[in-house]
Amino acid sequence: MSPTITVQNLSKTYQVPEREGGFSAAVKGFFKRKYKDVKAVQEVNFSIEQGEVVGFLGPNGAGKTTTLKMLAGLLHPTGGSANVLGFTPWELKPEYLRSMTLVMGQRNRLSWDIPAADSYLLNQAIYRIPDEEYKKTYKELDELLELEPLMKKPVRNLSLGERMKCEIAVGLLHRPKVLFLDEPTIGLDITGQARIREFLREYNKRTGATILLTSHYMADVTALCERIIIIHHGQLKYDGGIGDLSRRIAPFKLIGVLLAGSNGHNLSVYGEPIQNEEDAEKVYIQVKAEDVTTVTSRMLAELPIADISISDPPIENVIERAFNE
Amino acid sequence: MFLIFKRLWQVNWAEQWQYRANLVMYLLYWLVSPIIYLAVWTSIATSKGDVNGFTANDFVTYYMILLIVDQMTSNIIIHIFGYKIQDGSLSGELIKPIHPMLTNTLVNDIAFKTLNLMWLVPIWLALAFVFKPDFSSVTLGGILFALPAIVLGYFINFLLSGAITSLAFWTTRVFSIHEFYYALILVFAGQFVPLKLMPELVQTIARFLPFQLFMYLPIQMIQGKLSTNEIMQGYFTGMIWLVVALTLFTFTWRRGVRRFSAVGA
Repeated sequence: MSPTITVQNLSKTYQVPEREGGFSAAVKGFFKRKYKDVKAVQEVNFSIEQGEVVGFLGPNGAGKTTTLKMLAGLLHPTGGSANVLGFTPWELKPEYLRSMTLVMGQRNRLSWDIPAADSYLLNQAIYRIPDEEYKKTYKELDELLELEPLMKKPVRNLSLGERMKCEIAVGLLHRPKVLFLDEPTIGLDITGQARIREFLREYNKRTGATILLTSHYMADVTALCERIIIIHHGQLKYDGGIGDLSRRIAPFKLIGVLLAGSNGHNLSVYGEPIQNEEDAEKVYIQVKAEDVTTVTSRMLAELPIADISISDPPIENVIERAFNE
Repeated sequence: MFLIFKRLWQVNWAEQWQYRANLVMYLLYWLVSPIIYLAVWTSIATSKGDVNGFTANDFVTYYMILLIVDQMTSNIIIHIFGYKIQDGSLSGELIKPIHPMLTNTLVNDIAFKTLNLMWLVPIWLALAFVFKPDFSSVTLGGILFALPAIVLGYFINFLLSGAITSLAFWTTRVFSIHEFYYALILVFAGQFVPLKLMPELVQTIARFLPFQLFMYLPIQMIQGKLSTNEIMQGYFTGMIWLVVALTLFTFTWRRGVRRFSAVGA
């Protein structure tokens, strides 16, 4: 059987208008625009078999979303080809659109002003789902995600996590054979993330659907995907098992410390300092996993520590580091 | 397909109700110009007895009917669709297996229109009380003749507006282009003044344009002022324009979507 997704030499170059600031540049730009080529995706090749769950990773701007959009049919590539379920995605054939789904964090399928239940019924009609099948699928989704209490409220009154659940479920009503998920757990709390993850695993098991997902959270990927594809600067850097990746890249940990009193200590002697915008109070340093115990005890002995934590580094840093070395 | 339209209607109708206050403000704004034309022309006709055969009552009934016909044939798709192209929210609709403009937007516009017509009823009755139009020339036959013309006018207008809205795929200045289109309607649809009072040349041009179906022709049919020949001619031009409008729309839409997916949806 041929693979569900085949991508060959897929490339996308954006032409981005470019001009300098100031009045004269604005006038010149009016008559003759300059463009800069931005190579978002360059000659990427991979294929995915039916039922696989693949994590699609890379730092911001690596070309993940662009690839996902091409596979969903929203973008025309500038080179190469792709085949999903026997269709060329960007021809936007209704048969294709009825057999896949694209869930993107911010883009909503649900109408903001009305209860989700109405949007669900609309999607039932749009995707021509017979009543019996609709009821069955809805029941399953409700079991996994506990949708029922959310259905009657206008979508604008739902919390972010509740809305995300409704968004994912509405994208699955037509039982797509292929799922493209762009950051399906973004903005959710730990329980929310875990629930979506568990749901996706269960959905994959029950339906045999093929899933390609991007995520910033390492936990998403390790929990769901046996295989990952990494792209960086638009190029494929890694395609293989997740276990091999951590062996290939020396595993790192983040040590976060809150210092009591003055901040004049030089922490770079313990490891590489890392910016963390979510928690500006703490100072984070990145160390090799095998050194964590030694470094931590040294720090505890030498520094006035008020609080200390050890965590996995964000996936972006791991990848960035792996390919900068 | 019927079920899709039914569900689309339920969703869009509920949505429009959410914005009812907004809608009343829009309606009041929209009412200003026809009412001014009505007031100006009636006072001129009253002082002179008539304007080229148009009596004060002709003007009053013309504009009172115009209020309803214009509401039925006009559309707001530049406002409900243009921004979706510009901010990229069209993406979500493009990957649904239905045409975004010819299904969702169409139904949304009709829902908007229906709610507007509901609000218009009391306002219209109040105006009728003030201006006391004499509708004795209006016949059931005239209204029946006008209904298909209104439907035809609506779809031609919708498709032409749709073609202009699709220009948003290329330019952000699409609103000003659409303003120009409104200006053409103002003159050639007979809103500014009934076409019969325009110079002969303008009337001839208007006969070859689609705009008279948006207001002038249906109004005159309802008023019982057109000969069978004129009615047939109007329908014939309308059918040709429907084909032209559909072709124009399909062309700009397809090219536009291709461009949208080239520059980054």
